[in-house]
Amino acid sequence: MVYSVAQHIITPLSDTVEGNIRAILDKRTALTSHASVREQSLVKQVQASLFEHISVIKGYTHFESLCIQAVEQAVNNQNINITSPGCVFILSSTKGDIWVSMAQTAKNIAGYFGNKTSPIVVSTACTSGVSAQLTAWRLLQANLYDTAIIVGCDLQCEFIVSGFQSFEAVSRFPCKPFDKNRDGLNPGEAVAVMVMSTVKPDKEHVWCMLGGSIHNDANHISGPSRTGEGSWRCLEDMSEWVHKSSLACLSLHGTATVYNDEMESVAVHRAGLQNVPVSALKGYYGHTMGAAGLLETILTMRAVECGYVLPSKGYEEQGTTYPVNIAAQARHTDKKSFVKLLSGFGGVNAAVAWSLEEKNTPLHCSKWKTLGEITLNANENIDGLYRDKVNNYPKYFKMDKLCRLGLVSVELLLQKIKSDMHDFILDSEKCCIILASRMASVNNDRAYQKTISDKNNYYPSPSLFVYTLPNIVAGEIAIKNHIYGETACYVSANEEETERIVNASLWSSNYTQALVGWIDYPEDDNFVSHVKILIKE
Amino acid sequence: MEELKRQLKQQIIEAINLEDMTPEDIEDAAPLFGEGLGLDSIDALELIMIMDKNYGIKFADKNESKAALQSIDTMAAYIKEHRTK
Repeated sequence: MVYSVAQHIITPLSDTVEGNIRAILDKRTALTSHASVREQSLVKQVQASLFEHISVIKGYTHFESLCIQAVEQAVNNQNINITSPGCVFILSSTKGDIWVSMAQTAKNIAGYFGNKTSPIVVSTACTSGVSAQLTAWRLLQANLYDTAIIVGCDLQCEFIVSGFQSFEAVSRFPCKPFDKNRDGLNPGEAVAVMVMSTVKPDKEHVWCMLGGSIHNDANHISGPSRTGEGSWRCLEDMSEWVHKSSLACLSLHGTATVYNDEMESVAVHRAGLQNVPVSALKGYYGHTMGAAGLLETILTMRAVECGYVLPSKGYEEQGTTYPVNIAAQARHTDKKSFVKLLSGFGGVNAAVAWSLEEKNTPLHCSKWKTLGEITLNANENIDGLYRDKVNNYPKYFKMDKLCRLGLVSVELLLQKIKSDMHDFILDSEKCCIILASRMASVNNDRAYQKTISDKNNYYPSPSLFVYTLPNIVAGEIAIKNHIYGETACYVSANEEETERIVNASLWSSNYTQALVGWIDYPEDDNFVSHVKILIKE
Repeated sequence: MEELKRQLKQQIIEAINLEDMTPEDIEDAAPLFGEGLGLDSIDALELIMIMDKNYGIKFADKNESKAALQSIDTMAAYIKEHRTK
């Protein structure tokens, strides 16, 4: 069993879990109008939830300092051996410090506490905070560690806000999740920490993680699926862990963008969960990105154990094709379980199920074998290989270099395997994709930065911005090959360090095929891919 | 007008990375989205940026941009009428 043994959150509303709960019950919001983001003047008049002040620890960045302070508070007075080799750090973030490898940032945070294990970075766009919980759960279930400290954090800056504005995804007003008049999200900042352990704590309310699931829409890298493919599959998977009659609520993403809220309403309806109370918290915090999954999970835990579903802010009138059971007032519940659902760029969707009632679901452990593998590096002309040997993905040249490398690697590997095994096909429903890199999307980040660096030529490019997320490569591969299975993305110091994540992911997996790859593209003359296809024995 | 259309096609090819395409490959009246040039929703945002960056055009709402961005012909006509640079 895996338990949540300690939590802490710091938001612009409050620096305690209880303070944040009180603020929500009082319907206070951290969203206000800001003339710019952190005195970066190119982004103007943003409705956002931003920290007024962050205390910086000497030698650490704002981002690292905030994470460290939250972890300190989470483990304070808890029986957690943070320096033990059985304790792993997991960082959940979409962009971290942007120009520093998130692997290094995570190492700095873990190192502050004297933790010697190699930290793991989960970076799957807006689903990171839920994906990170699932990663921790798998690592603990596989007995690789006994404790996982998960830190979710993102700070807003011109780089991020300008990109969302270029997508016309940002509202100038406080966001209105699922409302008829919703017109976009608000950027938000927060840090949230959850400590998970295989050791049950001696407390009145003990949350047990029942399971989780990730699915891709296999549809579009930025547009939500109109049929809610990935989110619907995630919600369907949750029925393996928890029956809908036991659910206190669904904690939805509720970004307040027109299309994502609509997609979620479709997915909820398809899964037959339309009567389950919905909690949507973006009206208080905006979209806190890499922190959202943890922040919203922790707040929902605290509310449900006190017997209520948190009220939503901004909702007045049904604004989705299918109604969701959302309310502006807190509602009583005597149920003991909930599901947290998120979705993000790259077509990725993720859900986890938590309960105050223990349920030991047997895991179907399995062995995997490598069917084939391929390595490409800077000696190869990737675009030339595409033209000569693939040439069947119309948007290939619209993609960034990281995605091109990943896509060509997978396509060449598939060709190689199919030439040896004529009947081999990738199974849309039973194949997962697990990718990792060291430098994530840094090559494309530089290209995007050029579009916002000159105040006299400030035109943030949406088609470059979308590729500033390192998980998009997994999404492109899923779209190209119609894969609805899991798409996971990690940032790690080197390829060897990702093996434990892959092993833990596949050990108890229901998938039968896996595309596993190290795909790193820091420079045009310095890149490498090593992709394998594994099948369940 | 013909020069404006040629210029516009070149700007689209560069902004959207339509590799191996030349302005001559894009028909003036053909739809830019779907069955025509096959552009998608992210490309639409790039077209909006092209209109702003090169011609000083900011659309008032989505209906207006949707109508203007249907084809090279509609884009050129809109630019001719609304350009500020």
